[in-house]
Amino acid sequence: MTTTTAVPAGTPTARRRPGTASVLRWEITKVAAQARSRALLIGAIVVPIAIVLIFNTQLPPKDTIYGRHIHTSGYAVPLFVLAFAHQWVLPLLAALVAGDIFANEDQYGTWKTILTRSVSRTQVFWAKTLTAVGVNLLVLALLAASTITTSLLVVGTQPLPGLSGQLIPAGSALPIVIASWATAVPPVLGFTALAILLSVITRNPTIGVAAPVVLGMIMQLLSGLGGLNKARQILLTTPFEAWHGLLTAHPFHAPITTGAIVSAGWLIICLALAYPYLRRRDITGG
Amino acid sequence: MLASCAIFSVRAMSDVLAVNAVNLTKTYGPLTAVDDITVQVAQGEVYGVLGPNGAGKTTFLRMLFGLIRPDAGTLEVFGRSWQRHGVNSLTGVAGFLESPKFYPALSGRRNLRLLAGLDGGDAAARINEVLDVVGLTDRQHDKVRGYSFGMRQRLGVASALLRDPRLLVLDEPANGLDPAGIRDMRALVRHLADTGLTVLLSSHDMAEVEQICDNVTIMKAGSVVHHGSIAALRELAPEQAHRITTTDDDRAAELARARGLEVSPVDDGLAVRGPQKDVDGLIGDIVDAGIALRGLTRDETPLEALFFMLTESAPAGPTTGLDAPTGARR
Ligand SMILES: Nc1ncnc2c1ncn2[C@@H]1O[C@H](COP(=O)(O)OP(=O)(O)OP(=O)(O)O)[C@@H](O)[C@H]1O
Ligand SMILES: [Mg+2]
Repeated sequence: MTTTTAVPAGTPTARRRPGTASVLRWEITKVAAQARSRALLIGAIVVPIAIVLIFNTQLPPKDTIYGRHIHTSGYAVPLFVLAFAHQWVLPLLAALVAGDIFANEDQYGTWKTILTRSVSRTQVFWAKTLTAVGVNLLVLALLAASTITTSLLVVGTQPLPGLSGQLIPAGSALPIVIASWATAVPPVLGFTALAILLSVITRNPTIGVAAPVVLGMIMQLLSGLGGLNKARQILLTTPFEAWHGLLTAHPFHAPITTGAIVSAGWLIICLALAYPYLRRRDITGG
Repeated sequence: MLASCAIFSVRAMSDVLAVNAVNLTKTYGPLTAVDDITVQVAQGEVYGVLGPNGAGKTTFLRMLFGLIRPDAGTLEVFGRSWQRHGVNSLTGVAGFLESPKFYPALSGRRNLRLLAGLDGGDAAARINEVLDVVGLTDRQHDKVRGYSFGMRQRLGVASALLRDPRLLVLDEPANGLDPAGIRDMRALVRHLADTGLTVLLSSHDMAEVEQICDNVTIMKAGSVVHHGSIAALRELAPEQAHRITTTDDDRAAELARARGLEVSPVDDGLAVRGPQKDVDGLIGDIVDAGIALRGLTRDETPLEALFFMLTESAPAGPTTGLDAPTGARR
């Protein structure tokens, strides 16, 4: 692509092209300039506070994992929130960010604006993907930090009941809770890539955001059906439950490893489809 | 075609062509948006691509920017092609397609900063200068969301000039501008051309192309129906037509025919076409015959008339017999 052959007279000399880092910088600027991105980041801090406070005044929901412990251990609350969030909140946030970053160029008609400068589609694709990944990790980290901090402040640092009936002492509960939230990273990245693929193909922010959420819900439903043991493993929603293994009397990590591999598979396949699609597509809108 | 090749070989010794598109074709499903066109623009020229709506002008320019890929043919800009040089083929090239688009949540200046970041080099150092050229200095800190259509168009020109281009590609730059805006835009393009910049401009307005271009390619339904210099086009154009309204149009028509003028009835009178001196004589005849002359206006210009003849009547096909080589220099 950057072949420099002997050029005929009168050909303008190629100047140094900007690197991907500078494309990345401007992608981040664009995201930061949008009111809804800022609202998202603020929401990731404020909404967990509100949720923790509200649930603190309600009867404990007994049918959700850790629901019945939310008044007795501050460590149980973030796990309860995590179990609830992964159903659709985390896929939705992942898709919101990724869909925004890609399909907005279609909405504003600005693909032609940036692709007629001196950066390649490859650079733009990776800068956008890195931005989407970075923002999603930031949102997840803010959600986790806000939920854990508020829970410990509001409910307290009592020992955490484990899933095998054991009691985890307060001292070792915090790392387990943080690790549990961290297991959401791979599937969140998987959903990010899925949203990138769908918004690149549909060129529509609404579909780019809604479709991954709907697919996530369908996967949840499928995994709820019996008789899906092997197939259940490759669903992108299954890794969201991998943290359960950390809370048994004899912790097991196999689901986390499998979850990471499955998520990586989704990530690689989605990006491997989205990248050539963006490279080849006709930019006609705008 | 042969003629243009001959010119090309002469030129190649000194300057490479700014644009060398040969037998370019682009289809969308069953529709051939650009049908086997050859357009060659020498450096320093102001070149017009003229055609009615849907002629394929924007499609051609999109291929030039590598936004869409031709199905057949080759396209080189300053000797570089998209296939071999990727985005480097846009070195020295800038412009916009249809209406320029920006990020609404960013100010005009910040949009330019962003684009300068994607240009590299010293583009960012030119922001003040280009804002000044297009007269947006006062509004540079306002969000683009609040810009009027004409302001966005001017920001589009500014964003192109940021690249300090050798070839400026403008797709209907006067589209949607008010009369003063159109006048300013044309003056700006002409001014830029005088600095030695090569300009490739698309338009559906013959008068505009006549005012600012040296050479023109006329397109219709994807095909080139004529190409050549504006001077050569003038030779081919019919006489100026006039519209006259009298108290006795039938009698006036007889008088016009007697002078050998072409006459056709129109809504509010007669359209007469012929040498100016015969039209002048006709006015005298009409007055002498005791007929009152109620109106006399110039109809479309001869070049406009030719443009309509080329793009409305003849079926689209290969270049008409009016083959004139492009690439002529000012
Ligand atoms: N993405 C697309 N999909 C299908 N057809 C298209 C597409 N883009 C352009 N066309 C068709 O190609 C033809 C040429 O369109 P183009 O936009 O190049 O015309 P134009 O000369 O720029 O017209 P205008 O003066 O209206 O801007 C039209 O018939 C148009 O409908
Ligand atoms: Mg057009």
